[in-house]
Amino acid sequence: MENQSSMEQVFQKLGDLKQFFVFGQKIVPVFQKIIDFMHDIVPLLENVNNSIHDTTSKIPKAANQINNVTNATEVATSEILDIVDSMSMDMTRIKNELMDLRNGFFNQRVVLERFGEDFKHHNGTYENLKSSLSIDELESRVVALDSIIRKIENDSSNITISLQVQDITSQQLASVNHLIQSVQKRLASLLFDLGKQTDAVLPGIESSGEIDTRSFNENAEYDRSGKHQAFVDTLINNSQKASQEEIDKLFTK
Amino acid sequence: MGLKFLVVDDSVTMRRIVANSLKSIGYDSFVEAGDGREAITKLDSDGSINFVITDWNMPEVTGLELVKAIRTHEKISHIPILMVTTRGLKEDIIEALQAKVNNYIVKPFTPQVLKEKIDQILASV
Repeated sequence: MENQSSMEQVFQKLGDLKQFFVFGQKIVPVFQKIIDFMHDIVPLLENVNNSIHDTTSKIPKAANQINNVTNATEVATSEILDIVDSMSMDMTRIKNELMDLRNGFFNQRVVLERFGEDFKHHNGTYENLKSSLSIDELESRVVALDSIIRKIENDSSNITISLQVQDITSQQLASVNHLIQSVQKRLASLLFDLGKQTDAVLPGIESSGEIDTRSFNENAEYDRSGKHQAFVDTLINNSQKASQEEIDKLFTK
Repeated sequence: MGLKFLVVDDSVTMRRIVANSLKSIGYDSFVEAGDGREAITKLDSDGSINFVITDWNMPEVTGLELVKAIRTHEKISHIPILMVTTRGLKEDIIEALQAKVNNYIVKPFTPQVLKEKIDQILASV
């Protein structure tokens, strides 16, 4: 009886073994596919890894180029402001000259009137002199020049207002640089996890310097419509009517 | 006594534009600072400054921190402050008002708006 029971156990084990081999026959192709897949995917992963490394190493250059753009536009803006300042000084000088001319015309007219009184019995003398001096015509030309100067002054003022775009775009660029630095940090961290050397990357972050996020407004926009100022004025007018408690309440909403 | 402005902005361009705008509306007495920390030093050392025009976003000490510092500084807490900034969101404006700025300009601005705000401040203080 004991031998029979042992044989049954042996057959049962053999049955299990057979089933295992059958399962093995089924699973082997799957393993083969996985191995083939790994064989294909490893070079791709290596490519991804190298691409991340390349991209990460290029980021400091991109950040520096953005900084260079900001610096170049600041220098160019400063040069334009120098020219506008010089033009303003020239225009002030011209305006003063024109004012002197107008005063001169006024004085000439007074003298001419006096002359006309003194020589009223000399027929045509006053009229001839007045006509030859053509004070009115010269004065109207001075007035026209004066209005042109005022237009140039207004244009210069508009140029100055437009140059504020440099500050606004530099804040937008600083915001982009900050984003680039964040991406670089993440990629550097990823490379570190993947076991790549990060020495070539990390000094780049240090050399370009951490951007102080308080030094720029990521929502800065160049808008000359005046709608933002109108909004501010409305809020300030309302706040002047409201108590501090109401302002605080508004703020906590 | 005439007005002596302290123009605070980390952008050299903006400091020049504010200074030019001040000149164009008849004010030619001003000093400049590149951030809030430098502004506080200038306010401490130059007692003749009686009007501050400041940007908000600056490194080291921001414009908002500068406003709060001025308002808690006994000797200079009365000085009018005009904020000139790119920040135009409602919460920014309210935060500035809570910090007790006297008025607020959103960039880009015109010399006329600058004059209008200075006049309003002078009329109210």
